[in-house]
Amino acid sequence: MMKIISCENIVKSFSAGNEKHPVLGGVSLEINEGEFISIMGPSGSGKTTLMYAVSGMDSIDSGTVLFDGRNLSALSEKELSDIRRTKMGFVFQQPTLLKNLNILDNIILPAMRDNRKNAARTTEKARALMKKAGIGELEKRDITEVSGGQLQRAGICRAVMSQPKIIFGDEPTGALNSTSAQKIMDMLSEINTEGTAVMLVTHDAKVAARTERIMFMCDGKIVSEMRFKKFNGTGMEDRIEAITAKMREIGI
Amino acid sequence: MYYRIIRNDMLKSKLITLTTMMFVAVAAMLVSLSAILVVNLSGSINMLMDQAKTPHFMQMHSGDIDAGRLADFAEQNSHVDEFQVLEFLNVDGARIVIDGNSLADSVQDNGFTTQSEKFDYLLDLDGNVITVSDGEIYIPVSYMKDGTGKVGDTISINGKTLTVAGFLRDSQMNSLLASSKRFLVSENDYAAIKGSGSMEYLIEFRLKDLSEIGAFETDYTSAELEANGPTITYPLFKMLNAISDGLMIAVLLLVSTLIVAITFMCIHFTLLAKIEDDYREIGVMKAIGLRVSDLKKIYLVKYAVIAAAGCMLGFALSFVFRDLLLENIRLYMGESEHASFAFLFGIVGILVVFLAIVAYVNNVLKRFRKISAAQAIRLGTSQGKAAGAKHFRLSRNRLLNTNIFLGVKDVLARKSLYATMLAVLIISTFIIIVPQNLYNTISSKSFITYMGIGSSDMRMDIQQTSHISEKAAEIVKAMERDSSISKYAVLTTKTFKAKAADGSEQGIKIELGDHSILPVQYSEGKAPVAEDEIALSTMNADDLGIKVGDVMTLVIEGKEKDFTVCGVYSDVTNGGKTAKAVFSDESADIMWCVIYAKLSDPSLAEAKTSEYADRFHFAKVSHIDEYVAQTFGSTISSVGKASDTSVAVALMITGLVILLFMKMLVAKDSYSIAVMKSVGFTDSDIAMQYVSRSVFVLMAGMILGTLLANTIGEVLAGAVISSFGAASFQFADHPLSMYPLLLMAGTVLIATMLGTWGAGQIKLAANMKE
Ligand SMILES: Nc1ncnc2c1ncn2[C@@H]1O[C@H](COP(=O)(O)OP(=O)(O)O)[C@@H](O)[C@H]1O
Ligand SMILES: [Mg+2]
Repeated sequence: MMKIISCENIVKSFSAGNEKHPVLGGVSLEINEGEFISIMGPSGSGKTTLMYAVSGMDSIDSGTVLFDGRNLSALSEKELSDIRRTKMGFVFQQPTLLKNLNILDNIILPAMRDNRKNAARTTEKARALMKKAGIGELEKRDITEVSGGQLQRAGICRAVMSQPKIIFGDEPTGALNSTSAQKIMDMLSEINTEGTAVMLVTHDAKVAARTERIMFMCDGKIVSEMRFKKFNGTGMEDRIEAITAKMREIGI
Repeated sequence: MYYRIIRNDMLKSKLITLTTMMFVAVAAMLVSLSAILVVNLSGSINMLMDQAKTPHFMQMHSGDIDAGRLADFAEQNSHVDEFQVLEFLNVDGARIVIDGNSLADSVQDNGFTTQSEKFDYLLDLDGNVITVSDGEIYIPVSYMKDGTGKVGDTISINGKTLTVAGFLRDSQMNSLLASSKRFLVSENDYAAIKGSGSMEYLIEFRLKDLSEIGAFETDYTSAELEANGPTITYPLFKMLNAISDGLMIAVLLLVSTLIVAITFMCIHFTLLAKIEDDYREIGVMKAIGLRVSDLKKIYLVKYAVIAAAGCMLGFALSFVFRDLLLENIRLYMGESEHASFAFLFGIVGILVVFLAIVAYVNNVLKRFRKISAAQAIRLGTSQGKAAGAKHFRLSRNRLLNTNIFLGVKDVLARKSLYATMLAVLIISTFIIIVPQNLYNTISSKSFITYMGIGSSDMRMDIQQTSHISEKAAEIVKAMERDSSISKYAVLTTKTFKAKAADGSEQGIKIELGDHSILPVQYSEGKAPVAEDEIALSTMNADDLGIKVGDVMTLVIEGKEKDFTVCGVYSDVTNGGKTAKAVFSDESADIMWCVIYAKLSDPSLAEAKTSEYADRFHFAKVSHIDEYVAQTFGSTISSVGKASDTSVAVALMITGLVILLFMKMLVAKDSYSIAVMKSVGFTDSDIAMQYVSRSVFVLMAGMILGTLLANTIGEVLAGAVISSFGAASFQFADHPLSMYPLLLMAGTVLIATMLGTWGAGQIKLAANMKE
């Protein structure tokens, strides 16, 4: 199977004052094309930092990150931007949409940067995606005029517009109630079944249970890993049970 | 504790603090310079005119003079304090040779005189009344300025040789706008050269009370005394002395007002941005019941400190520049009588700036009271959602590049934020264009038609001579045959009596001839065509209280005749009081005659001028460009200097404000930039968006600024120009005035790029955790 991401021994530390404070202490990780994985761990264990590192959003001190076969550290800022725009999608805990634009414009923004000539087709595609996400009627709304869950879904629509190879989610359901969270996870699952890999950071066992591989992080290291079959809508309770048992086992 | 908070705050925002301080400094400097200049100029003029005892009323007269009758008049008139008649020996420029160069090209009437005894003294550069010895000569200070002569040069006047012993200030004729220049020689030398030129008399009066000058003028006219020449009064002398530097001060004042306005806007902007940053904290303080006035005090003290530092810096700077700007005033008019006063005024100007800023900050801080604790804590920002520009949608955009679209959209969505930048750009455009246009206009060839001089290439003056009409006819005959002369106009000036409404009579000089050939600009009405039409200079019209369409009565050959006033025009020549008519008259004496000629090929003007000067020795022939340069040269160059300065100042302001603004904007926008980058926008995309915002605002600013400059600015410039005589006025179009605007556009672009430099390099990871 082709690897979309493969990283070796990532080390990263932040300096606070004169002290160097290690956050990632040699993490290695591989993600296959179309795989649905999640990272779990206590707050401050370095999950977000790891996600930024493997997606090229932040630099690393040592180690290598290969994305689609290319070493991210060796790429220019422009090449990184190109990759982010065409091959990656991001969803954060808080929706990150621009205040100035309405929902539809936010969704088509990255696509419009590259291909203004196909604006009509781009807009059609965005409308279709929004309809599927259940926010079809909201396209003309300002971002202050819709709920957090709806914004988050709009964010996911924006992320999938370019048919990326992978979507990164940093606790995308963290700020939502369970119904909204459910909808988000349904969306991500559906995107995954269409072939896009998904990497989620979460501390919610219910979210992790939807994925097929879970990495447990502690103090900047991956301490354990567990695998499931692709989720097909059944056996949810068992998976949650297994995950919480595992968490208890490693003490998080 | 305040001290520490303020210091930390300033250190954190060094650039903003420094820029604000710089603006305060420049504003303070300009205000104090203007104050110093105004005080110095008026002080110097008063001092000069006091020391020289400038006449209150002067009648120039050429021709015979009845000294006894004048003395009797002076004796009997109750207004007169002192009276004298001075001789002025008008010598053709060609006969005056300074250090080997003749004054033949000079448009001034150069003449010689001796030191007067009672008043109207000629002063040396220290302000003392000059006593001149035999063999010595003192020459006008303007000839020192333009390098015509220096101390030790020899001057030969029609063969008689004298040595330049120094320079003189002439409270009457210092200004280049005064057409005569007096050289001072000893009594003996004067007697020796007396035969070299034509005699003119300066009939001078000092009055007991200057305010009675109008009454005295009427007395003089109705007494039918000698009046063959211009009449000049004390206020006009004063104005002539003040024009050049006054104009510079006017421009300086205009610029300083605008800079003060910009300083206020900068403070407004930075203060509001700061309040917005601190919004949540202010809300929390309110919520837990702390006194907001404490916080307010901190802001106020901070700005007071900045303002004080800026004002002190500005005051120091004003010392650097004041000597440069005072140079001209000192040279022509000498030290001011209250130089220490000027210093005081400088300080007062600076205090005003300081207090204005503090009051302004205090006013802006009133907003603190309006902050609602609940809203501040919940939203963390005073702005609600982005209002406006809702219908400007990316999904409908087919025209603009996406980055440009985002830039424009941002400006439209956050109008109030960009208002400051827009205002600064409008003002900058304004202070670039207005002085520039003023300069281009007054230096353009057609401008002289606003000043009472027909648009022409060559001007020939025949005066102080006999048989003027025969001589004029001789020239006309030559011009008739000369194919290179396309048009000419002969204007003969004669004096008539005008009857005022109250029946009193007043002398009026009327230029007779065809005024339609080489016309001047009429601020109202048109040139006289019919026999019973007359046009008046603005000064005359104001004086006589007559408007276009009114009827005025002239006394010609003892008979009264009615004329319709058909036009009013501005005039700075011959004391500003002239009139134009077309009727023919054989009765009155000709005072002088001016022939204007237009060439079919203007580039020949130089050659034609010397050709005619050689052929007709009795006439003073001048190339119009040269005439203008010598008459208005120093005024034009003052305005030119001022306009260059305002371009430089405007560019500096624009650069600084945009830089500051962009830095603040980038800081404010870090979240949006991070979002943009996370979805794959590159650094150059981001840069492009900021440049688009700038260019968009720049274009709006330039268009609005240009509109304002051509409306309000034109009115303003017109007011400045009318202060020296031209009543109606329109900017001359000049393609060159685009050039400084291009410079401004360049400055804005560079400042934007510098200000947003590295905007894309923000730490994505840190900024996404909003
Ligand atoms: N920009 C930063 N500067 C300094 N320290 C940071 C920065 N970002 C994260 N950290 C530190 O790195 C550690 C890991 O943070 P993070 O990756 O956000 O944890 P998680 O997402 O697992 O909660 C934390 O201890 C945090 O304090
Ligand atoms: Mg995190």
